[in-house]
Amino acid sequence: MRGFGVVLAKECRDNLRDRRTILASFSLALLGPALFTALMSFVLTSTLGESRAGFRLAVVGAEHAPRLVDHLRRYNVEVAPVSLDDPRQAVRDGVEDLVLVIDADYPRQLETGGVASVTLIHDSAQMGSARRDFARARQMIGQYGQKIGVLRLQLRGVDPAILTPIRIGEVDTASPAARAVTILGMLPYLLVLVVFMGGFYLAIDATAGEREHGSLEPLLSQPVSRSALVLGKIGAASVFSMVSTVLFLVSLSVSVPFVPLHRVGMSLSIDPLTCLAMFGVSLPLVALGAALLTAVASFAKSYKEAQTYLTVVILVPTLPLIVTQMLDQAPSTALMLVPSLSQATLVTSLIKGEAVSWLHVAVSAGATGLLAALVAWVAIALYRRERILI
Amino acid sequence: MIRAESLSKTFGTVQAVRDVGLTAPDGRITALLGPNGAGKSTTLRILATVLRPDRGAAWVDGHSVADDPDSVRRAIGVLPHGAGLYARLTARENVAYFGALHGLKGAALRQRVDALIDQLDMGGFADRRVGGFSQGQRIRVALARALVHDPRNVILDEPTNGLDVMATRALRDIILELRAQGRCVVFSSHVMQEVATLCDDVVIVGQGVVGFAGTLDELRRRTGESDLEEAFIRVVGTEAP
Repeated sequence: MRGFGVVLAKECRDNLRDRRTILASFSLALLGPALFTALMSFVLTSTLGESRAGFRLAVVGAEHAPRLVDHLRRYNVEVAPVSLDDPRQAVRDGVEDLVLVIDADYPRQLETGGVASVTLIHDSAQMGSARRDFARARQMIGQYGQKIGVLRLQLRGVDPAILTPIRIGEVDTASPAARAVTILGMLPYLLVLVVFMGGFYLAIDATAGEREHGSLEPLLSQPVSRSALVLGKIGAASVFSMVSTVLFLVSLSVSVPFVPLHRVGMSLSIDPLTCLAMFGVSLPLVALGAALLTAVASFAKSYKEAQTYLTVVILVPTLPLIVTQMLDQAPSTALMLVPSLSQATLVTSLIKGEAVSWLHVAVSAGATGLLAALVAWVAIALYRRERILI
Repeated sequence: MIRAESLSKTFGTVQAVRDVGLTAPDGRITALLGPNGAGKSTTLRILATVLRPDRGAAWVDGHSVADDPDSVRRAIGVLPHGAGLYARLTARENVAYFGALHGLKGAALRQRVDALIDQLDMGGFADRRVGGFSQGQRIRVALARALVHDPRNVILDEPTNGLDVMATRALRDIILELRAQGRCVVFSSHVMQEVATLCDDVVIVGQGVVGFAGTLDELRRRTGESDLEEAFIRVVGTEAP
């Protein structure tokens, strides 16, 4: 194995001098957790605030329906009586998000027991709070209408129950905490991507890049075994991948405390010990990623060609994650045989503070490590062929 | 001492080398001369253990190129076509990398690299990154890299390509110095004048076969031409390959 360390050190030093490689290799690891935290905070605060916060409702002709306005105000709606010539245009132009128009005929219809009409003008192409506010306004006005209907029936001596032959009970178990857990499911994804991105550019530079610049031929005419050369390159990609993973975990443990999880009664502990465990669990995946990227990039004759191949390769480890997320599998020993999926499952358990079985860890490391060795062997075989230089 | 016998090499349907043999003794400069596409580079790459010959055999200091490539690699230094340096490493680091691959380390490696920087007059740019180097500077770095393990045999593939007059002259002095040290020097070229001023023996290759092998005087005698360029053209023929 003479030469292994020499190649590894040279590839690391060489790539550390390339600002673009550094930026591309480590930016996801550093910024990923920050984005993740921001997203999670946003989801948590918006779901928490949903039921309490009021919203603005512009009302044209509020003077025709003072009781309705009172009803809306009781539900914390900020009713703003306005006079608009063309309320539709106002919504279209974005002057108002939501306008309630009350017909001048409204009081007379109510008094005579007729059908009073109001119009809610909104823009369904708008996303976010406008859409939610529309649904709530409609529900509140509907409620008010129902109340009047009940009173009318009672006045006429009819049991209002005859109008509701079926009552639909709804129970939504999705608490804000449950939503947080769903987002938490993205973390293992991010980790797998970070592991692969770390070695991505170094693997290209050390293989296709070396070929493109004509330095591979002199390198291969040195008295060093091909296995030492290739393993040195895979080793260097592993080092970058490990650095990327460490940066990710540090960045994660710094940013997660900013998520207001306590407000939904959850706690997420990413303490140094958990970080260390996550790092240990990821190591076999680091080796597999470095070997796979190096092997595939070795087929390419130029940097650009390799970049195209590896962009596809980097999607591969995310596939099992997508599939299982859809199937909702519980951790099992069989699942541990699948690289990337096993690491993602173990990392999820660690984050949730669940107990992790040593058997699962061993099977995961064994299966992924074995595959990494196999892929490394393929890469070495590629460099034993004369074709690599033609 | 480099010896090759009836080498042949085919890439797909192209037969780059048909039948090339040569003997390059120690302490002499042997030129592999031929037009573009004659098979010079392929022959040198076989001698450098980069390519395996389809037929024939070659030996460097008695070690077979095909059967014992690692011993051959220790015995030769190669300046490949186009240098092939690492742009982000300094000249010194480029040379030291190959020295380390040859097993040199610590003080021994530093001393060897310093000596080469001195010998090849690279002091002015030894600690700058290779990225912005001129062709002449690049060739020197590549040459220092080829000599880092002090090989008995040196192979240079078109070393003067892209060099200006001053750089060519400096390289010529270096090559003569290598001969004076008793090394076996083999270089390829397609420029007759360059060969005439430098080499002791010449092997002329055309379309993958050897047309002539011997000293320059023998070449003049054989072809009956006193002008070497005319003699060269007589040997390789005028038609393009």
